[in-house]
Amino acid sequence: MSVLIGSAISAGASIIGGIISGSKARKAKRKAARKLKRMNAKMKELEANRQEIINPYEDMTSLSGMMSNPMANLSVATQATDMQIEQTDIALANTLDALRESGGGAGGATALAQAALQSKKNVAADIEAQEKSNEDKRAAGEEKLQQAQIAEAERMQDAEAMGKKFVYSETESREMQQLNRLQNQINTQQGIKAQASADQTSALTGAISGVAGAASAFYNSKG
Amino acid sequence: MENRNITTNLLIKQLLQSDNMAYVPGYIASPVDTEFRVLDKAYQDTGKQYAKIKTAIDQGKCGNCIEENNMLMQLEAAPKLSLEFLENVMSELSVVETSNYDPNNYFGFMVANCIISEKPGFSKTDGYDVVLQLLENGTQELTFTGPIFDKPLVINSAALKSLLESDTSMVVETPDINVSMTELLVESQLFDPKSIGEDKKLGADAKILETFILKFNGEPDYEIIDLGNGKGRNIIRYDMDKIEKKVTPFINAQVAGILSAEQEAIAAWNVYLSKGTSQEEDDQMVQNANAASDSWSYELDLPLLQDKKVLFLEKYKEYFYKNYLVQFLTNKIPSVQKDASVFDLEQARQAKAEKLMSSTK
Repeated sequence: MSVLIGSAISAGASIIGGIISGSKARKAKRKAARKLKRMNAKMKELEANRQEIINPYEDMTSLSGMMSNPMANLSVATQATDMQIEQTDIALANTLDALRESGGGAGGATALAQAALQSKKNVAADIEAQEKSNEDKRAAGEEKLQQAQIAEAERMQDAEAMGKKFVYSETESREMQQLNRLQNQINTQQGIKAQASADQTSALTGAISGVAGAASAFYNSKG
Repeated sequence: MENRNITTNLLIKQLLQSDNMAYVPGYIASPVDTEFRVLDKAYQDTGKQYAKIKTAIDQGKCGNCIEENNMLMQLEAAPKLSLEFLENVMSELSVVETSNYDPNNYFGFMVANCIISEKPGFSKTDGYDVVLQLLENGTQELTFTGPIFDKPLVINSAALKSLLESDTSMVVETPDINVSMTELLVESQLFDPKSIGEDKKLGADAKILETFILKFNGEPDYEIIDLGNGKGRNIIRYDMDKIEKKVTPFINAQVAGILSAEQEAIAAWNVYLSKGTSQEEDDQMVQNANAASDSWSYELDLPLLQDKKVLFLEKYKEYFYKNYLVQFLTNKIPSVQKDASVFDLEQARQAKAEKLMSSTK
């Protein structure tokens, strides 16, 4: 490589060697820097356009609105009791008519009226028993409804928590993966760049001592 | 100008690769002078100049000697600057020797590299020269001259340094599309991770994942091919929509990486993408197919307009499918033994038609 130095200067070889290795080191450094730039642009594009992390529980809806107490509106079965009252009244009227025709005394009528009263009392007691039973069922139904509603609320809370946990852990894991990958790449490229810089410095140092040697030879030769 | 660049660059490259000069009668016998003595000539008067200024300062002959002291500092700094400058020039010019160099680069760089690396045909005897000058403003200038130049190629140390420090380049290096697309194959997540080796490359037996196989009613929907003699066999069909959806974000990312240095995207366009040639076609040529009249120009097309970026993306995608992905999609025999065997063609076609009919009903 006599292009750069043609005369027989002893330091010439070291200058040329320095320039050649220096140029290679510079090239390597620039190549590493360009690759780093490309990788960063690539990573930026990937990160900007990645798919959103979906919460698989986000569409879950509370079913509590669909719950109701089936025992809430139980009706009392009064048809049979109405019939019983009606029949009692008819029987009483018929008996009174018969008593009147047969000339029965007032004592018989009183006994009849008491029997009728007793019968109506029985009817009332039956209605009361039905109402009590319905009330018990309503309460039991209400209790079950509340338990179901609590269970549903707990299910929704669990789902929400699990969804948040899923999104968090997925985001965390994806970001960590990307950060680690990017960091590894950056470290590698920075290492390559640093090595190239060191090579460049050492080449330049060698070449400078070559120039100094050449200059000193030059000055000495000129006396 | 582009045509001159392409023709001259390719001509010089072919001349050098063919060792043409070795067979030119008389060349070997001729005395070839490659002694350009760049540093010698640049510094031949600096010793005297230094001594003269130093003496004037020491003897107090220059008043406050501000100018003289500046000149002295410039002279002292000059050797280091020369070395850095020459290193930068050589590292830039060496790009012309890369196999995928874009011949749309200014041809003067190819010639300058030939001069500085003493290639046959570019000696002093052939009329070429290179001179380093130390300028008064402290910068340095390298001038290449010779019969091929219309005007000398002049490179200034400060201009070059500023270019390089702003992360650009004097001579554009073409990014290696092969590396970029091989990376893309691996990153695209189309393949089983087990088929990716430690070297981050696909193994020889890499297959596209089952999930991308086209299915009909849950069963692979094979294409039946005619083997002749009434025999046929199944070939896997792939769900190209699904593949495209999967690959597109990764292609976009690769392209974004290339476009982060737009001058390199132009080089990739000119060398690989514009003509839509195949990798095999490129390999068969001395120089990879170049865009010629469809070239994008470094002088006129930078920065790249949006429509060019979109076109670049389209062509990049096309090149990837045509040259890299296609081998994993074509003529793939099913991995299930019973589906992979050879069968009676007519019966198989009839069975397939019946299956289709019954599913339509």
